Amino acid sequence: MWKEIREREFGKLRPNLFTSSVSKHRLSSIQLSNSKEIISSHRASINSLQVDLTEGRYLLAGASDATVAVYDVQRASDYEGGGLIAKHKSVLLINKQHEHGHKYPVSSAIWYPIDTGLFITGSYDHHINVWDTNTTQVVMNFKMPGKVYRTAMSSLARSHMLIAAGTEDVQVRLCDIASGAFSHTLSGHRDGVMSLEWSTSSEWVLITGGCDGAIRFWDIRRAGCFRVLDQSHSQFGRRPPLLVRPSTNKKSSSAGQSSCAKVRAPHKKLNGNALKSQVKTAKQRLHPGMISSLDRATGHYGVITGLKVTDDGMYLLSAGSDSRLRLWDIESGCNTLVNFETTRLQSSKSIQMALSQDSALAFVPCMTTAKAFDMWSGQTRWTFRGHYENINCCWYNALDQELYTAGNDRQILVWSPSKLNFDEVDEWRNGQAAVTDQDNWSD
Amino acid sequence: MSIWNYVVTAHKPTNVTHSCVGNFTGPQEVNLIVAKCTRIEIHLLTTQGLQPMLDVPIYGRIATLELIRPHGETQDLLFIATERYKFCVLQWDPENVEVITRSMGDVSDRIGRPTDNGQIGIVDPDCRLIGLHLYDGLFKVIPFDNKGQLKEAFNIRLEELQVLDIKFLYGCPKPTIVVLYQDNKDARHVKTYEVSMKDKDFIEGPWSQNNLDNGAELLIPVPPPLCGVLIIGEETIVYCSASAFKAIPIRPSITRAYGRVDADGSRYLLGDHNGLLHLLVITHEKEKVTGLKIELLGETSVASSISYLDNAVVFVGSSYGDSQLIKLNLQADAKGSYVEVIERYVNLGPIVDFCVVDLERQGQGQVVTCSGAYKDGSLRIVRNGIGINEQASVELQGIKGMWSLRSATDDPHDTFLVVSFISETRILAMNLEDELEETEIEGFCSDAQTLFCHDAIYDQLVQVTSNSVRLVSSTSRELRNEWFSPAGYSINVATANSTQILLATGGGHLVYLEIGDGVLTEAKHAQLEYDISCLDINPIGDNPNYSQLAAVGMWTDISVRIFSLPDLNLITKELLGGEIISRSVLLCSFEGISYLLCALGDGHLLNFVLNTSNGELADRKKVSLGTQPITLRTFSSKNTTHVFAASDRPTVIYSSNKKLLYSNVNLKEVSHMCPFNSAAFPDSLAIAKEGELTIGTIDEIQKLHIRSIPLGEHARRICHQEQTQTFAICSLKYNQSSAEETEMHFIRLLDDQTFDFKSTYPLDQFECGCSILSCSFSDDNIVYYCVGTAYVMPEENEPTKGRILVFAVEDGKLQLIAEKETKGAVYSLNAFNGKLLAAINQKIQLYKWMLRDDGSRELQSECGHHGHILALYVQTRGDFIVVGDLMKSISLLIYKHEEGAIEERARDYNANWMSAVEILDDDVYLGAENNFNLFTVRKNSEGATDEERGRLEVVGEYHLGEFVNRFRHGSLVMRLPDSDVGQIPTVIFGTVNGVIGVIASLPHEQYVFLEKLQMNLRKVIKGVGALSHEQWRSFYNEKKTADARNFVDGDLIESFLDLSRKRMDEISKAMSVPVEELMKRVEELTRLH
Repeated sequence: MWKEIREREFGKLRPNLFTSSVSKHRLSSIQLSNSKEIISSHRASINSLQVDLTEGRYLLAGASDATVAVYDVQRASDYEGGGLIAKHKSVLLINKQHEHGHKYPVSSAIWYPIDTGLFITGSYDHHINVWDTNTTQVVMNFKMPGKVYRTAMSSLARSHMLIAAGTEDVQVRLCDIASGAFSHTLSGHRDGVMSLEWSTSSEWVLITGGCDGAIRFWDIRRAGCFRVLDQSHSQFGRRPPLLVRPSTNKKSSSAGQSSCAKVRAPHKKLNGNALKSQVKTAKQRLHPGMISSLDRATGHYGVITGLKVTDDGMYLLSAGSDSRLRLWDIESGCNTLVNFETTRLQSSKSIQMALSQDSALAFVPCMTTAKAFDMWSGQTRWTFRGHYENINCCWYNALDQELYTAGNDRQILVWSPSKLNFDEVDEWRNGQAAVTDQDNWSD
Repeated sequence: MSIWNYVVTAHKPTNVTHSCVGNFTGPQEVNLIVAKCTRIEIHLLTTQGLQPMLDVPIYGRIATLELIRPHGETQDLLFIATERYKFCVLQWDPENVEVITRSMGDVSDRIGRPTDNGQIGIVDPDCRLIGLHLYDGLFKVIPFDNKGQLKEAFNIRLEELQVLDIKFLYGCPKPTIVVLYQDNKDARHVKTYEVSMKDKDFIEGPWSQNNLDNGAELLIPVPPPLCGVLIIGEETIVYCSASAFKAIPIRPSITRAYGRVDADGSRYLLGDHNGLLHLLVITHEKEKVTGLKIELLGETSVASSISYLDNAVVFVGSSYGDSQLIKLNLQADAKGSYVEVIERYVNLGPIVDFCVVDLERQGQGQVVTCSGAYKDGSLRIVRNGIGINEQASVELQGIKGMWSLRSATDDPHDTFLVVSFISETRILAMNLEDELEETEIEGFCSDAQTLFCHDAIYDQLVQVTSNSVRLVSSTSRELRNEWFSPAGYSINVATANSTQILLATGGGHLVYLEIGDGVLTEAKHAQLEYDISCLDINPIGDNPNYSQLAAVGMWTDISVRIFSLPDLNLITKELLGGEIISRSVLLCSFEGISYLLCALGDGHLLNFVLNTSNGELADRKKVSLGTQPITLRTFSSKNTTHVFAASDRPTVIYSSNKKLLYSNVNLKEVSHMCPFNSAAFPDSLAIAKEGELTIGTIDEIQKLHIRSIPLGEHARRICHQEQTQTFAICSLKYNQSSAEETEMHFIRLLDDQTFDFKSTYPLDQFECGCSILSCSFSDDNIVYYCVGTAYVMPEENEPTKGRILVFAVEDGKLQLIAEKETKGAVYSLNAFNGKLLAAINQKIQLYKWMLRDDGSRELQSECGHHGHILALYVQTRGDFIVVGDLMKSISLLIYKHEEGAIEERARDYNANWMSAVEILDDDVYLGAENNFNLFTVRKNSEGATDEERGRLEVVGEYHLGEFVNRFRHGSLVMRLPDSDVGQIPTVIFGTVNGVIGVIASLPHEQYVFLEKLQMNLRKVIKGVGALSHEQWRSFYNEKKTADARNFVDGDLIESFLDLSRKRMDEISKAMSVPVEELMKRVEELTRLH
């Protein structure tokens, strides 16, 4: 970092390259934090984690004991070890005793993307609550047809305030905070919807993953789903294959080109044009789905347990109960065939995955560990071991290069870049250990 | 200071980022176009050299600058893309001498991640399309239609992620790009793609080449007939095409820039990171490439761009040193170099650090910068105002006037210097030894005060004393004629030119004499109602010896009048208003415009535009130059006439872009001045000041003056110690002699006048200087230099060890008094309550200065504060500590004396990656961050909750477009106690592009006024390429874009003065403020820098 700071100073290192290389470097030393601890207020498994998108300061967690808590990850509530170890207690806690508290497990807790004045919780008690953060009062309530698995809001949206909700029901509903009513009902899935994500490049596009194994794309301005991902529909690499170069020799072009055309035909279906042709056909048909064979395509065998769109809006990572991760090229809708070295993924519950800022790494809960996979080789970069039971959710805080993980053991663990004052912290910890040892001796 | 800030550029960017050559201003004209990050300059190549044609700001940081020639055009158009995803195509308008926008647009996308390796913009050689690589994995295409207009852009997916360079290949039937990229195993390859406009996609290209040089970073497309591409690596250069592959090894170097010499592309100039210029030749037989040859030509500044102009003349643009115009000679000189530097263009960038000092102790700040990098590192002394380089001086008290005279009318040089005292006149002349010696002119009256002297035609001299006018032969020095004032009236004021004399006696008599050969003729006499205070008949018409007009300043009615000559008819009478009479009037002409300058007794100057045909005065303006009476004199320097205003704040008045400008002269008080162009002291001025007469030459007439002290090494930190009159710098020298490049770091002590190295303290191996401070400690009178260092071990990512060194200057040498080891790099040092506050990696640490039993001193740590990622920039005020973190914006700490502890008080929770911080006042702090923004935060001590008090509220945001390395309190100009701007606190900043800027905190009322003016100016002044000023100044980072607030752009405000009168009126109407008032307020502001 020292070298980078010096090179930035005289203009040799471009500032944006500086930030990305420092972030990357810090991320590469990530480990269980020795100087930051989050004191969990939950008494059952934690199902959802999210840091607010405005300041990167407040971590919102929802748990199976129907509790929702907010932790300030920037400012510690108290310190130990002469200021070396920061303890972060919850700054807000809602439990069953709260007059509007959920009755059953909270499956999803998300921030309103524009500011931290509101947050949204979804629960197995069939309710979605919109909370005012400052007063901790429910300001809006949506009654859903079944258990709520996931809720999502678009961080891009400037013209709508819609909560997309995936529930036990086959229909995905969009709850409008502006009106307090359901604005859309999206039909297509043949089973409940465990995971959903808004696109990071268009505020109108929603992606849902169902228990029927289908991953559907919806443009909420139009009726029906405009794409279903098909695991057998694949491309190798980051983009669809290049067009084949027509024979450069013009004399033999007539024969050459006609033969080429045949070869190219299947390719055409694979590349970006496919999307447009599908949209076009969608317009023509009354039910704007697809031809029935496409409509029955699956992304995974089994349940889609997790979805995550890359920040650049170009790729989608999906997790399934088949213990597979798949990386999809959104434009072409193709499975990129990256082979992620997963061993086993939780299949009964949805999992919340996270991506590093440059989308080079995916953080995925893999039973009791969380793994960081390289996005394009699928190799395991690191395995985070620290939880005693299954992990349900990960959140990567790009501002601090910190990873938060939580799961059934009710802990929220902080994984942060190793600090340089390691020695000092260790010294202090050893000192503490010695003290307790002494106590033990005196006993 | 306040939260309302005015940001203005005192020194424009000088870092040359791009340059190109083409026919932009006309089909036959060759232009050099230079981009300096946020400005473009257009030059015309003439036989005399480069002639500047236009220098305009761009509302964006230029990412791409290319000349393009769409089909059907006879001359080139200029394509510019900015880092904030705007592009424009510009065309030259020869009528108005400006650029007009052909087309413009936005190429930003919601999709994709901005590239880390820099934006790439390229144009197909056949001008079929423009290609942009702005986001990883996407290649944007803007096609041209048949008429040369741009069509709608589209994206093509690019498989390669880490793209290093993309170029279009020449001679391809379809537009074809070649991509240099790095794979995830860090190997580098090139690939080609054809762009299919029909499919809006790539088609596999004709060839590719894998596993190139690991340092390959630059592609040079070769034009027909050879075609193909050159791949420049660190150790090899490769020529590649579909049919050929040739490689040669080179001496390890990093090539930063190239320039094509021949149109057929067989020769290229390559500039490397050491400033070495090589010629690369592609040897070929007809169209078949047979090999490559490389030859060292010589050394230049480290090049960032190379443009071959013509006739072996090359422009070398530099980011790290001065840009140069060089000539490549056919024969090597004695040192074996073929490079001859014809001209240098000053570049202050990168300003890594600077300090504000007052070396001359005149109350005017000078900025001493650490500029440049690598071998081109230097110190630059930047000051406002014009310097006088003293050549000779004599002690002479009580000078009342000075004039220089020639020994013959046609003599190009002045011989005599007439110096007048209260009751005598002495004449000095150059003797044979080039010494100034007292002499005599027999015909002159030497025992009376001279009121005026001048050369006259027919080899004569004129002397005016209080009772007579004497006409003296300059050859025989004898009196030829004398005119006596009427009895009872003595002459009060007089003026003359070569053929005319105008004088005034008591009782309001105005007498006009004409000079003949040995005769003085009283041509006219007029009786005015009041006494006359000053006169001038400086010829400004076509005849340089004869004036048609006379300017007369009056007592009593406080007016200035214009009379016609020779008939002394009153043409114009202008009442000055107020109670101060004019002390000096002057008729002069700048850039073809005639002015009447009228200096008042209180240091104010009025200027009028004078219509020479009818004598009318217009465009009255008033400025304050000093507090004492002013005497005006013309002089010429470099064949241009300027005016010297002698007073307690001597000023040179000159004109640029038909606008009068005022520049301070760096002298304290000047009572009289006259030009003295003698053979021994050509182009000099004789200056009477505080009991001495000085002869000196004057600097080039411009606002900021820059003196360079080349160091040959890279200075990174500087500080000044007034007590010992020294500077100390942390510098490093690159050692290229061995195979592996090594660095040596030093602490050097420099004399603050001569800038000679007085003493050097070499740091240990791997040890680097990071911070430097001059301070004293409580209970110790000695002033020390404290230096913070870091040990940068090759295997460590972050230093874990450093030192704080405390030096005293003894006998001009650095003497190490104490040292203290630290657990990391000492990024910052501050004097704090008589102690030393250090920022060491993520910790803030306070040290006491302790006296040991044996009498020696040591630093002892007192307390510290954790909780930063890296505490890079620290400023203190009282007990408050403001920390700029690597990535966590600004936090405020407080030192608690009782507990002896440092605690966090408040913090800005935004994720700003900081580059500099400064404390504006107790509550407001200023920060500069990584995305070229400025922002201010305010402490909220009155907040109701802990949460509110613990938060620094962001109160101002602004996109500066410059990377700021340092803020310092101070000012570049003399603060006049009587002017409004004298009270405005300012902060100076220095940036990577060599910009020196000023941030001034304004009173709220003035800020509101200027913000309104800025809003109106935005409507009238359109940005080049129709880029929006409002968007340009909006705060911008990856997360958000927000309108600028509580900052106003001084550069835009001050461009008001360049507007035509019509447009000024427009704005005046919109503001409902008179133009005069607007001009006055804006002119005041220009005096901040």
